[in-house]
Amino acid sequence: MTVIEIGGDATRRLTAAGRLRATSVYDQPVSVEPSPAAATTRPSVLSDPTSRRWVEQLRPGHARREQAVARLHDALRRAALHELHRRRGQLPALAGTELDDVAQQCADDAIVSILGRIDDFQGLSRFTTWAYKFAIFEVSSKLARHAWQRNPPSHEELELGELPDSLATQPAEQTERREQLTVLREAIEANLTPRQREVFVAIALNDVPIDVLALQLGSNRNAIYKNLFDARRKLRESMAAAGHAVTREGAEE
Amino acid sequence: MIDLRSLDELLRAQEGDAGCDAGVPIMDQYVEIELRGEDPSERFPGTAIHLRVCPGCRADHDGVLEAARRFGDLDPD
Repeated sequence: MTVIEIGGDATRRLTAAGRLRATSVYDQPVSVEPSPAAATTRPSVLSDPTSRRWVEQLRPGHARREQAVARLHDALRRAALHELHRRRGQLPALAGTELDDVAQQCADDAIVSILGRIDDFQGLSRFTTWAYKFAIFEVSSKLARHAWQRNPPSHEELELGELPDSLATQPAEQTERREQLTVLREAIEANLTPRQREVFVAIALNDVPIDVLALQLGSNRNAIYKNLFDARRKLRESMAAAGHAVTREGAEE
Repeated sequence: MIDLRSLDELLRAQEGDAGCDAGVPIMDQYVEIELRGEDPSERFPGTAIHLRVCPGCRADHDGVLEAARRFGDLDPD
């Protein structure tokens, strides 16, 4: 796990997961996805000549390593910058040279992670796709940190207040809807743990981004998502027990 | 039974959801399946469910897909 020491924020998320799973129930995935090796029936594509050349040239001691690192770094920086522009709505204050600086930081951290994990590449995708994943996770992580530093969740966004307008009562269904919202509110207050309530209120009711909330609470995305998933399941069960079952595809069967 | 789409969205918790961490190691494989025009939910059903529900992971997925599509053909030489 030396990658934790040399990588950026996203690398810590990548590598910390396994360690944290052993210590905290909240870091368990909601369910288990097949491992990459077990999940694929396709042969490794390290036979892909381009991917193989990338791996060979990026290994220490290769005559072309310096050029390959520079070429990959430039590609990662361009991909990160493109992704920052794609997500610029998340952080309008970030623009111009600041975006270039963040893209450079993402590429710097991503390439350190990639070089540190080069032997982990199994050839289950193209090398470039595997590499871009690191850059995109760095963008995600750094944008969340910028957003949290500039605009952390307010006290009101973490406390249960009025239910949102999207759930507001319509005249034609006023009585039924009012009962339903009363049950929902009571369930939020009575049936959730304090952490589940805080997470549900922030994310589901007040649209706080999950990574920003994770930073605010000193947690991580997967743990927060587990809290949210459990909260939603409890509330759905509470609604059903009170005679207000919510239909539809999102329901647990 | 009351059908309220907004409430259903608010309380969405679908069995089989793999969570956030499960998608991290396989995201590159997931998007390449899509780039081949195949359905990644057959091989990674839990992540397919998760990506419909988690905006953070969906954004990461979309970013990796976009990068692979736009910048994927790159040779080291």
